[in-house]
Amino acid sequence: MRFSRMLSASVALPLAVSLAACGGGAPQTPAADGGADPHELDDATHEELVELATEEGEVTVYSFTSRIASVEEAFEAEYPGIDLIGHDISSSEQITRLRSESQAGTPSADVAYISDAPVVITELVAGGILQNYVPPRVAETVPEEYRQPLLANRLSTKVLMYNEEAHPDGSPVGNLWQLTEEEWNGRVVMVDPAVRGDYLDLVAEIVRQSEAMAQAHLDHFGTEVVLDDGVENAGQQFVKDLYGNGLVLVDDTDNVNAAVGAAGQDDPPVGFTSYSDRRDNEEEGWALQASLGTAPSPGITFPAYIGMVRDSDSPAAARLVADFLMGDDSETGGPAFDPFYVPGDYPVRTDMAAPGGAVSLDELGAWDISPEETAQIRDDVADFLLTL
Amino acid sequence: MKRAPAPRRTTVGSTVARARTALGQPTAVLGAGTLLVLAVLVVAPLLGLVNTTLTAGNREAWTDVFASPMSENLLWRPMGNSVLMGVATAAGSTVIGGFLAWVVVMTRLPGRGILGLLATIPFALPSFALALAWESVFRNDLIGGSTGILMNLGIPVPDWLAWGPVPIAATLTAHYFSLSFMLVAAALASVNGDLMEAAELTGAPTMRVARDIALPVVAPAMVSGALLAFAEGVSNFVTPALLGLPVRFHTLSTRLYGAISTGDVSRGYVLSIVLILVAAMIMYASTRITGGRRSFATITGKGGRRRGVDLGPWARPVAAVAWLLVTCTTVVPGLVLVFSSLTLRTNDFSSGLTLHYWIGGSDPALAQGQRGILNNPQILQATWNTVLLGVCVAICAGVLGLLVSYVITRSGGPRWLTGTMGVLSFVPFLIPGIALGAAFIAQFGAPIGPIPSLYGTFAILVLAGIAATIPFAVRSGTSALGQVSKDVEESAVMAGAGLFRRIGSVIAPLTARGLFTGGVLVFVQMVRDLSLVVLLATPAMPVLAVLTYQYSSENFTQSANAVTVVIAVISVAATIIARRFEGAAQPWNSNS
Repeated sequence: MRFSRMLSASVALPLAVSLAACGGGAPQTPAADGGADPHELDDATHEELVELATEEGEVTVYSFTSRIASVEEAFEAEYPGIDLIGHDISSSEQITRLRSESQAGTPSADVAYISDAPVVITELVAGGILQNYVPPRVAETVPEEYRQPLLANRLSTKVLMYNEEAHPDGSPVGNLWQLTEEEWNGRVVMVDPAVRGDYLDLVAEIVRQSEAMAQAHLDHFGTEVVLDDGVENAGQQFVKDLYGNGLVLVDDTDNVNAAVGAAGQDDPPVGFTSYSDRRDNEEEGWALQASLGTAPSPGITFPAYIGMVRDSDSPAAARLVADFLMGDDSETGGPAFDPFYVPGDYPVRTDMAAPGGAVSLDELGAWDISPEETAQIRDDVADFLLTL
Repeated sequence: MKRAPAPRRTTVGSTVARARTALGQPTAVLGAGTLLVLAVLVVAPLLGLVNTTLTAGNREAWTDVFASPMSENLLWRPMGNSVLMGVATAAGSTVIGGFLAWVVVMTRLPGRGILGLLATIPFALPSFALALAWESVFRNDLIGGSTGILMNLGIPVPDWLAWGPVPIAATLTAHYFSLSFMLVAAALASVNGDLMEAAELTGAPTMRVARDIALPVVAPAMVSGALLAFAEGVSNFVTPALLGLPVRFHTLSTRLYGAISTGDVSRGYVLSIVLILVAAMIMYASTRITGGRRSFATITGKGGRRRGVDLGPWARPVAAVAWLLVTCTTVVPGLVLVFSSLTLRTNDFSSGLTLHYWIGGSDPALAQGQRGILNNPQILQATWNTVLLGVCVAICAGVLGLLVSYVITRSGGPRWLTGTMGVLSFVPFLIPGIALGAAFIAQFGAPIGPIPSLYGTFAILVLAGIAATIPFAVRSGTSALGQVSKDVEESAVMAGAGLFRRIGSVIAPLTARGLFTGGVLVFVQMVRDLSLVVLLATPAMPVLAVLTYQYSSENFTQSANAVTVVIAVISVAATIIARRFEGAAQPWNSNS
């Protein structure tokens, strides 16, 4: 008995301390102070940045792509006095990490190169964890939507792809609604949007584009779309029908690529994946091709953002990295942009040419996601998927 | 930092006095100390988790999960599937692991040493290797792309065999029976030879001896192994994601990781709390059913040499089954892993083989110019870090585990205390690694009093590692301790040995084998676990698991598999080395 009393007292203290110390995982940043205040270095000239950055000596970059390794080499060749430390960390982990670090007051990165736009914009940028910086050099050549609320340097895609070996005359899918018909039953593959954020963005965009989906339904079937109970719009109806038509969900993009792209298949499925994965066709023995001309759209494009981490140790070098990631002023962006200059990805700068080997952004006709609007409906779409 | 006021008592004085008296008792100090450590390492992150779900804006996660049109797909069905997978894994692991342990320790089958080594390997393999091995045999044309060996031979494979609960349970079992094997083997090895011999002298048949003497004696180890396998089966994410999603078979863990990675963190945390509660209930029920009090002291002051059981005509079939089991669970997945690191094209075994991903230089045509892993200085650095981390965590968790299990089984503390500690020491298993990592950053990221911020240090990795691996350490400690007779300790008391002296000079050496087993489990877990370190690993300090993950998320599958082979080799080497030490630590138990 004595023992237990003593113990209950000895537990109370550490618990109280830990409770106070451990605020949990929710963002606890002061309300929307970020983004609004410009940083003192935002207007610094390139020379000033180089001088300050050289004093700082090193800069840490979180990147959602391993291509940061090539950027590192190119950057250090250009600025020998500054050590760029690149870390390949997926977007959702960057988000958790940046949030936790900010909460603990120990930011360890200076720059975040990150996708997952809806979460980044509504949580990291709105919460002030990431701040925007647009290098004055490129401000003119980057369209407004890729300068605000956060700078992007290129667009990636999640689009419908097919097997061009099995369909040499072009995509077998002219209209997305075909995917809900018997012909494609059990033969559409995609990564489960309940598991991966970028695919949730794709589905959210389809729902957001309900009017276009309704029109496409009319074009394809010749009738107005009829909504089931609990279905609010044509986009949701399409998603429901797609799920009902034996949509095959997998855990990983590579699985989609292999399923759709593998050569030697008689009757390959189609699936949603990245246009730029086509560059691996030769290496992997795939025959992936984007489903061009599919109405109303083959899929989405989304930005790769460059964010400045608040209160970081190397703000000047961070801005120099942002400037560098935007490419030099040549048509291809020079060695700085080289790792990202691949067919199927699209530089945002209007003075750069799109990489050869893929159709132009216009011709692709993918929907460009709107991070804020997607964020608004994204949770509802996720909930909707959970009821299917 | 605010401290809560000390709890008010009307009889503060007497409480203090009592506490002072209690502090004089080393057992109480030990109990209080271990409970405090558990509070910091386990309770605090857990409270952080709960706290997050209760903040404004996150509270509706509870109603979303429990009472909304989504509940069916988000909670109830996945929960049923999780429990099903957990129970199937636990049952399968206990049967297979127990059988192999019996074969290796108790029989005289030739080659049982190798058998024993092979049986420990599946745990060191990543779960995707086993899932991949399953796919390479059973994959049918549901998804598209290439099919498995059976389909290629013209044998149709039904969906239930290729995808969903059956293959998931089978691969999870193949992965985690090692846990049961190691724990049960350690327990069996310490079964007193006298007991067996006495039984045999009375003319009891071999099987009867096994059933009536050996089985009850190893029961604590079997229960421990089953519980670990259950928790692993319930919380594993990769296998159900790989083999379950194509037929929309979700478990709590796939729903949980999905929620966290699509940005709905609070919902993910609610699911993980549910997971913890469900598992705690099952754990409680299982200890009730198996009778947690009933343990058998087998290590007494005296003991004789044990002879192996002669199987007679049964030798061949038993050997065949044992070898088949390790072949399917170790050799095949191991070969799949090695070969898939050698294929020119991802997982396409007909595309030709290359050593490029191991020793090649930078070739822009392959894997975007990534160098072969043995040619990459980062790998060397990461290997060193990984091993160091594994060793540090194994030692710390081992010591803590022994102390905690001593309190649980020996201190004679009140039941609520031992019960609480039992559950607390199990819970970290069920907190998703990434959430545990985030909680540790929140907890130790900022300076606390004299302790500076630990974020970005090696220390925080070790601390989190200890928290995450306590279940292994405590379970193996408990099953090892459960066999040490109280007589032994009592004689030490008579001889005037204090508590810590007893633990250091009597308990620790006697339980060395079990402790080494636990240490190896912890080491292997640390070396291969990703989800915990992915947030905590300092950017300047790469560890192997994180590199594997980076490679595979960039679709450099071969490099990822090559690093995984390195991880497996380290784990197996650790197992072998630990065995050597075991032999040295327990000379009286060598039975050759």
